[in-house]
Amino acid sequence: MKEAMTTSIGKSIKKIDAVEKLTGKPVFCADFGFENSLVLKVLRSPYAHALINSIDTEMALKISGVKGVLTAVDIPGKNVLGIINKDQPLLAENKVRCIGEPVALIAAENEEAAEKAMAAISVSYEELPAVFSAEESLKENAPVIHEKGNLLAKKTIARGNADQEFQNCAAVIENTYTTSHIEHVYLEPDAGAGYVNDDGLLVVYASTQNPHYDLKEIISLLELDEQQVRVIQTATGGGFGSRLDLNLAGFVALALYHLKQSVRLIYSREEVFLATAKRHPLKITMKTGADKTGKLLAIKARILCDTGAYGSYGIAVAARSAVHSAGPYSVEHVDVESSCVYTNNPFSGAMRGFGAPQVAFAYESQMDLLADALKIDPLEIRQVNALQNGSVTITGQKLEESVGIGNCIEAIRSHYKDACQNQFIKNTRPYQKRGIGIGCMLYGIGNTGTKNPASARIEIDQEGTITVFTGCADIGQGSTTIFTQIAAEVLGVTTDHIKICTADTKFTPNAGATSASRQTYISGNAIKQAADKMADTLLDQAASHLNADKANLILTNEYAVITNNPDKKVSFSDLAVSLHKKEDDTCWHGFFDPQTTPLDENGQGAPYATYAFACQLAIVSVDTLTGEVNVEKIVAAHDVGKAIHPEQVKGQICGGIAMGLGFALMEEFEPGKTISMKDYHIPTSIDIPDIEPIIIESNEPSGPFGAKGVGEPALIPTSPAILNALNNALGERIYSLPANLERVLEACIKSGNFEPKENDNE
Amino acid sequence: MYNNQIKISLKINGQENTVHAPPDISALALIRDILKLKGSKEGCGIGECGACTILVDGKSVNACIMLAAQLDGREVLTVEGLNNGEKLSIEQNAFLENHAVQCGFCSSGLLMSTHALLSENPNPDQNDIRKAISGNLCRCTGYHHIVKAVGEAAKQSAGDENNE
Amino acid sequence: MNKTIEYIRPADINEAVNFLDLNGNNTVTIAGGTDVMIDLRSGEISPEYLLDISRLPDIHGIGMKDGLLHIGAGSTINIIARSQDVYRFAPSLTKATETFAVPQIRNMATIGGNVAHCSPCGDTVPSLLVHEAYAVVHSISGVKHIPVSDIASGPYLTNIKKNELISSFVLKPVTDSQFSNFEKIGRRKALAISRMNMAVILSKSNNGTVDFIRFALGAATPVSKRIEEIENFLIGQKPVEKILWQAGKKLADIMVAISGRRPSTIYKEKAVQGLFLRLLHPVINCK
Repeated sequence: MKEAMTTSIGKSIKKIDAVEKLTGKPVFCADFGFENSLVLKVLRSPYAHALINSIDTEMALKISGVKGVLTAVDIPGKNVLGIINKDQPLLAENKVRCIGEPVALIAAENEEAAEKAMAAISVSYEELPAVFSAEESLKENAPVIHEKGNLLAKKTIARGNADQEFQNCAAVIENTYTTSHIEHVYLEPDAGAGYVNDDGLLVVYASTQNPHYDLKEIISLLELDEQQVRVIQTATGGGFGSRLDLNLAGFVALALYHLKQSVRLIYSREEVFLATAKRHPLKITMKTGADKTGKLLAIKARILCDTGAYGSYGIAVAARSAVHSAGPYSVEHVDVESSCVYTNNPFSGAMRGFGAPQVAFAYESQMDLLADALKIDPLEIRQVNALQNGSVTITGQKLEESVGIGNCIEAIRSHYKDACQNQFIKNTRPYQKRGIGIGCMLYGIGNTGTKNPASARIEIDQEGTITVFTGCADIGQGSTTIFTQIAAEVLGVTTDHIKICTADTKFTPNAGATSASRQTYISGNAIKQAADKMADTLLDQAASHLNADKANLILTNEYAVITNNPDKKVSFSDLAVSLHKKEDDTCWHGFFDPQTTPLDENGQGAPYATYAFACQLAIVSVDTLTGEVNVEKIVAAHDVGKAIHPEQVKGQICGGIAMGLGFALMEEFEPGKTISMKDYHIPTSIDIPDIEPIIIESNEPSGPFGAKGVGEPALIPTSPAILNALNNALGERIYSLPANLERVLEACIKSGNFEPKENDNE
Repeated sequence: MYNNQIKISLKINGQENTVHAPPDISALALIRDILKLKGSKEGCGIGECGACTILVDGKSVNACIMLAAQLDGREVLTVEGLNNGEKLSIEQNAFLENHAVQCGFCSSGLLMSTHALLSENPNPDQNDIRKAISGNLCRCTGYHHIVKAVGEAAKQSAGDENNE
Repeated sequence: MNKTIEYIRPADINEAVNFLDLNGNNTVTIAGGTDVMIDLRSGEISPEYLLDISRLPDIHGIGMKDGLLHIGAGSTINIIARSQDVYRFAPSLTKATETFAVPQIRNMATIGGNVAHCSPCGDTVPSLLVHEAYAVVHSISGVKHIPVSDIASGPYLTNIKKNELISSFVLKPVTDSQFSNFEKIGRRKALAISRMNMAVILSKSNNGTVDFIRFALGAATPVSKRIEEIENFLIGQKPVEKILWQAGKKLADIMVAISGRRPSTIYKEKAVQGLFLRLLHPVINCK
């Protein structure tokens, strides 16, 4: 009898790269260097919008120790970057569009010479009028930032007739919500290094989320072909979306190209803040209507995304914010427009959730307001509207399976009931109000209605050593670890028998970006497919070795074994030897591209092959005298399909909640004002409450062992849950994030909670 | 270039060491660039993130805002001094076993704060732990598994002491 | 252009003040060093000399002497937070230092540095003010006493001269019958510069009215300071909620009068009233 074995899936094995990090090994880019590396520095624009009349590098080049000063004219290929739309130069040509835009690259023998060269470059700017808000930027007389116009993209979702349907609603709620620029604050400042090998190959090391994209951009910049550049991802200290852009691999490669000498480039935290992408600030006007049972009938939204000087992932943010604007709910009549607009702010790009966290704040606030207007419990109104297997989304996609939102809500129910019962009992301190809030979400796994495949490869050598090759960049979330679990499970070995080679363009196939919560699902599938093929070959080979029927064989503990006669077996190494002898293929390829269809002009289609769902409960207390908020507890139920590594899933959930808490309460990047970590606050260990993660496994049939994704979903419901809890505590809603001291105290004052009540302290 | 250097003698991870360094560099630059110990990280450069946390005479400090010269005559412990060869320290092992590492950039600093806590307070509660690591920012984990790991490390080291 | 910088570690305070007398204008003094290294990195300062006073024996030690609490200026925030003498005789300072920044900074930063740096947000200053502390200041001319209230002349502007050095602070201790407290507001629960802070010492007479109060406000005005109008207002009053709320409102008006109106005032004038009530709320019901 063939046992259904799960030797690796669902087990929280030790993280592969943890020991080297816990023992302080030099694995990050800033930790190692090559002999005689030149120091690179980037000269940046002090202006938000200006023409460049000239750049004089002569004085800088005369400084002792300066080896090169490169500007746009030194870029041999196409000086334009961008994964979705190409609009961003590596080095500014005749115009700068935001403060911090790179203008010149300096290479010198030491820091001091590089610093002196920075000061000695003379750039003649002619300042232009600048615009710093998306609304202003769309006005007729606004300064023109890009020749093609300031509107980068508009995404529409049109279904039914929302305007008409609002008239049939028992309650209609309309509000405008705003969110701020957010900085990723991965702990490792961006770093890169490189050298030119004896064959003239440019070898670039970078802290990145997508080495194969970096390679493509570099060869386009330098007009080289793929064989002339190799990009290797170093240990990457978080990414959260920002390292999807070519943050500094382009500078490293350009310097290598011209100087043929090893180089290194390490950003200070201040330069990270100045130079890299931000989360898009969104302005969302949303109108939501429901019948008297709370059933959503219509939704209308107008969304403005400020993408700053360059597009980066802006179009994806516009698309996602539109597609996700109804949350995990069914609604028939939809009228949504999301516009992505250039301004002279720092460029906005990808950040954990691509617009979904911002719209979740809006749609979940609206759900609570509807519940209140219709006198329905906030948890009930969500359950009434929750998508189910067979439901149709606002893009007209029928969801056949793995719709776990209902289960997530049910998992929260008992915690919610307890919290409601205890809410006032625990109101012990004077001048303190407690509140309970719910936040739900859905999130499409993978890119929106576009191809986003991953390839993978698996090999066995003559000794029987199995190696997985994947281009997937593990940026801390643990993809490398779970890929060994997937391969091990298929091949019937333990994970310590799987070697893995990742994110090196010379050796690994392209796995696409570590973004969109896609790698477990997409690369996981590609690896599973490769492993399945390998297992099939091994079984074939074993069948002929053992003279047995292939159907009676299983792979276990590095042997192919006859199920009803376990003594008859052949080892992987023997099988490998015979495969190698026969010169049979000992390398198997896997490929997976999720089944999607592009969105049409009405935003209809199947943009994602699968969706993750979640429901979170937040309990907060507010000091009504000062506006200080204490998040006391968060319970988070997440449908991840299947948790391949439960503790890593919980790690994502808890990390996402921390980022969501920061987004909700304290984080705001103010262009021009936010300079260093002194000015930008992310939550400390004391700010984060006790978190109870709950894993819901709805089993996605198209996922590897049923898995979907969790990276971004973790953060999305947190800010709405906290904001709804604040409203529950105070009876006053906040419509702009972050709900900082000022906004919360204002809400305390407006709601009459600031004034001491006579009996509060008697 | 600097034309003067000062002599700094310190005991680092149990070894006596004398180095010559410019007088205005940070303790972190001394440790990373001169002593070539790369476990202590620079995350912010201004004492705001704790990735560079080291112990000086047993007390946790941010090496990025300490002058290298201040280490003269002191005993310094960095993450490299925690494990004994292949054998992980109690803190390192607890972080490993409890899945407290994601990107790992904050890990060294957190281990040092953990070490400092456990040497002063062998039985910390959740609150003590959260306070003790409040100067170590982590953007990946939400601190959940880290707090758990520190708690487990405390239990472990208390157990070890009882055995001795 | 060769930059030279020298590091000097004097053996005793006389050597230190002699050095400062000659080179004070080109010297930055290091005690904890937490601000110096940041300013060196940013290029904010480029001194010729770094004078490391952190190991001077004369600036360490905490204890009662002649009925006054002496705190060495070189005491780290952590040492103060753990001092039994401070806890007994200046408990608001214990509270201020226990919640000061984070452990790493508490282990480095000194009270002397916190005061001498004259940041309006220095968390130890309001406590020192309500203890009517004075600094013991050394120079080659000898030793003098400067009230802590006279040290800052503006944000980051100090009245301590370039040739002077603070060796200790001397505080009037609280008595057992006095209530003392410290409160602050930050943007997060650790690692936050105080948006405002305040300290108080208060006692009530047998009839429940305030017979003694010293109150100081920090971070909301250019320099931390005692607010005597508030003290005078509360003397002789029963500190019930309504009165404290009125006093808080008055405090807000005073703060606005001192600091002027700016965008942050909208929050601060309310929060200062709120925080004042939180600071003194425990005295409403106590004897």
